[in-house]
Amino acid sequence: MGFFKKKTNTKEQSTSPSQTKETSSPNDLKTSLQDNIQFVKDSLGESSDIVIREIRIGQGGSVKAGIFYTDGLTDTPSLQNFIMESLMLDIKGTGLEKKLTPGHNILTALKDFAMTVGEIKDLTNFDDLFTSLLSGDTILLIDGYSEGLVIGNKHWVERGITEPASQTVVRGPREGFSENLRVNTALIRRKIKDPNLWMESKVIGTRTKTNVSLMYIHGVANDKIVNEVRLRLDRIDIDGILESGNIEGFIEDSTYSPFPTVFNTERPDIVAAALLEGRIAILVDGTPFVLIVPALFVQFFQSPEDYYVHTGIGSLIRLLRFFSFVIALLAPALFVAITTFHQVMLPPALLISLTAQREGVPFPAFVEAIIMEVTFEILREAGIRMPRSIGSAMSIVGAFVIGTAAVEAGIISAAMVIVVSITAISSFVSPTYNMAISVRILRFVFMGLAASFGLYGLAIGLVAMILHLCSLRSFGIPYMAPFAPFNVSDQKDTLIVVPIWKMFTRPRLINQTNVVRQQDPASAKPQPPKNEETRE
Amino acid sequence: MKKSLVVLLILTLFLSGCWDRRELNELGIAMALGIDKSEGKYLVSAQVVVPSEVSMKTNSQGRSAVTLFQASGESIYEAFRKMTKNSPRKIYPGHLLILVISEDLAKEGIAESLDLLSRDWELRPDFYVVVAKNTTASEVLNVNTPIESIPANKMYNTLQVSERNWAGTKGMILDELIKDLLADGKEAVLTGIEVIGDKESGSSKQNVETITSAAEIKYDHLAVFKGDRLVGWLNEEESRGYADITNSVKSTVTAIPCPQKGKITLNILHYNSKVTGAIKKGKPEVNIKIQAEGDVGEVQCPIDLTKPKTIDELEKIYEKEVEEIIHRTVDTLRNQFNSDIFGFGDAISRSNPKVWDKMKEHWDEKFSEVTVNTQIDVKIRRIGTVNNSFLEKIKD
Repeated sequence: MGFFKKKTNTKEQSTSPSQTKETSSPNDLKTSLQDNIQFVKDSLGESSDIVIREIRIGQGGSVKAGIFYTDGLTDTPSLQNFIMESLMLDIKGTGLEKKLTPGHNILTALKDFAMTVGEIKDLTNFDDLFTSLLSGDTILLIDGYSEGLVIGNKHWVERGITEPASQTVVRGPREGFSENLRVNTALIRRKIKDPNLWMESKVIGTRTKTNVSLMYIHGVANDKIVNEVRLRLDRIDIDGILESGNIEGFIEDSTYSPFPTVFNTERPDIVAAALLEGRIAILVDGTPFVLIVPALFVQFFQSPEDYYVHTGIGSLIRLLRFFSFVIALLAPALFVAITTFHQVMLPPALLISLTAQREGVPFPAFVEAIIMEVTFEILREAGIRMPRSIGSAMSIVGAFVIGTAAVEAGIISAAMVIVVSITAISSFVSPTYNMAISVRILRFVFMGLAASFGLYGLAIGLVAMILHLCSLRSFGIPYMAPFAPFNVSDQKDTLIVVPIWKMFTRPRLINQTNVVRQQDPASAKPQPPKNEETRE
Repeated sequence: MKKSLVVLLILTLFLSGCWDRRELNELGIAMALGIDKSEGKYLVSAQVVVPSEVSMKTNSQGRSAVTLFQASGESIYEAFRKMTKNSPRKIYPGHLLILVISEDLAKEGIAESLDLLSRDWELRPDFYVVVAKNTTASEVLNVNTPIESIPANKMYNTLQVSERNWAGTKGMILDELIKDLLADGKEAVLTGIEVIGDKESGSSKQNVETITSAAEIKYDHLAVFKGDRLVGWLNEEESRGYADITNSVKSTVTAIPCPQKGKITLNILHYNSKVTGAIKKGKPEVNIKIQAEGDVGEVQCPIDLTKPKTIDELEKIYEKEVEEIIHRTVDTLRNQFNSDIFGFGDAISRSNPKVWDKMKEHWDEKFSEVTVNTQIDVKIRRIGTVNNSFLEKIKD
């Protein structure tokens, strides 16, 4: 433990000096337009995508003005139509033009009468100027004023709303989050039109100035947890946040646990459902992955489709997921343990068949399993990283060379190939990528235990894993809830999924104040109308 | 300090484990074991599977599916370990299916031979025990069998199938055998196994290449024990009588005479027998209550099966037949072997424990005085897919 503490200390030291450096320059805008232009040019190193346009407005062009924008981040047609045109052409000969002479308060006049744009903000210092300019807003400065206007007309080319690549469903909405924070919040707002859906914005990252939004339903989410999330987010002090994974690294409860304590998703319906349960969503600009806290163990086995299909198949598939979790975790370890320590457990015919397959295999079963597992991990990693166009080539190499040829060459036994394939397929059943990763790590630990102690080692390992799981917490909520601590009413959405009209209450541990989510199940149960009612 | 402790713990994990690790291809899987005794030494034969010959894969080289390793020693365990002298793999008896004891050894007493087999942790005591009749155990294990390429499998399956469908054999597993050997009021019975035909050529591959094998393994007769010694053999009828009394019948087929002439065969599907003991006027008495249900399986005589009266008649004949078999079997056991394999003593000890305590010392004499009452109830339920046999019409 001491080793880890030391590491975090050094990190804090390295980040603290950068904080003070930023605010040292004289920050306020200058009165002279020329000075301001010069300062901006100097500060940005005359970057070629920064466009500075000097114009003259007002009667007889008596007022000098400067327009600043970042090419590519600003909506150029709207800049021309609604700002340049209204300033330079439309006000010609109107009463307004007379006000635009030195002596009048030009900025207020422009703001009130000329700018046909929705979002306008006042500007007094360079920090805000740079943040706005580099975020894609247009800046308007007038000569003679140490103030300016920020005109919100950000616009850039971005990926549209497409079907998410992960957490796919057969039945359910096909839309997924995009990289734009605003679009993402809009997708959630479109699902929950409740005034109590509150959103708090933060800017994290001293250099990237990434917008981060906190969303929760006021009155449903537990205030203590909201405060805790706020606190943890405020504690982050780093130069850049590029993906929600960076935030996750800072706020998760247990970094070195193989199990994830923060949920992430690309699907608005999952976020909406989580918000309705009283969870909190953290949206980060620039990534389609939204974080959800608190995240419990069972949550990683829930797919949105479970609630959209028939309750029977939903429950069976839920059970199947837990089952395949166990297979993905233990199959190679069990195989190694049974074939090297507990041959008595195998039926005679199977024993003979497995022995026959092992004839001539040069490695012990454990080494064989490690070889196959590592090979599979390499194939999988290559499949993700390599260019799409050579994918088919790799699957041929993977399937034929590794699978068939290794068995025919007598290096690997056929049974081991089956076990590793079953394991691999089972690990893909998990609806969340996070949990699949933790299983990948633990699988090797269990294989080591099985190879040295057999089933005894496996049992010890499993006990240790369960103890660890029970000790984990996600934002104050026990990770294994509602199994440990056990809660009867929350079992409705764990191993099985009960019909939706029976999901009368929200999860107890996450939400203690506002528990009831629908009318009483007794009257909610769908049933044919009673005779007396139909007669009338 | 803490770090080194962690390292030590991890080291113990990988250094101390693995001591009993065995790869599958280090095992010589013994499916059948034979025990003979010659010149005061035990000769143990292990029928070990050659996995590559059994497996479905095409690269089998036409060798025999099993091989026989033999070693002799002062004790079974010693002989067993000595096998490593000629076997490339350590013999692994965990999947033992059948144990063959030679008739000679059985006559001397089997108790000593069974200790290792019940003591060793690698063995599961659920394998069948049989006695080699008129031959040695090693000769039985030395026969190639058709259909099942592993002879041990053939022996195991044949015993299981015949016990379930014919009832003339008794699949006795080690646990039951030891229980019977220890019981006061019951003696043990084992099924006999024989090699029929040319024993010499049985071990060659040609034995299974022809339609009729030169040498065959076959179960027949039941070996009667007194204590742990073999005292004699029951013939087929007596073997079935034994099964009738001890509720060992699961399903069987019996031919009974028709009321006039010819034979009719019944297929017994449900069978239940119960032996209860009693003391009447100071004399031991057992009541055997049998309830059986069956179908008409085969008709070889002119008979009108459509009449309920005929069925009643047939039931009566069968009941009488079973009763006679039972009495004949009991008489044989009394007169020839004086061995209570039916557990009559056990039945009396359960009904009159106090009387039994006095009686068990000289049960051998009392056994021959026991009155045996039978109460047999047979129901014929169905007569098959035809009513009367077509035999009748052919004669017309």
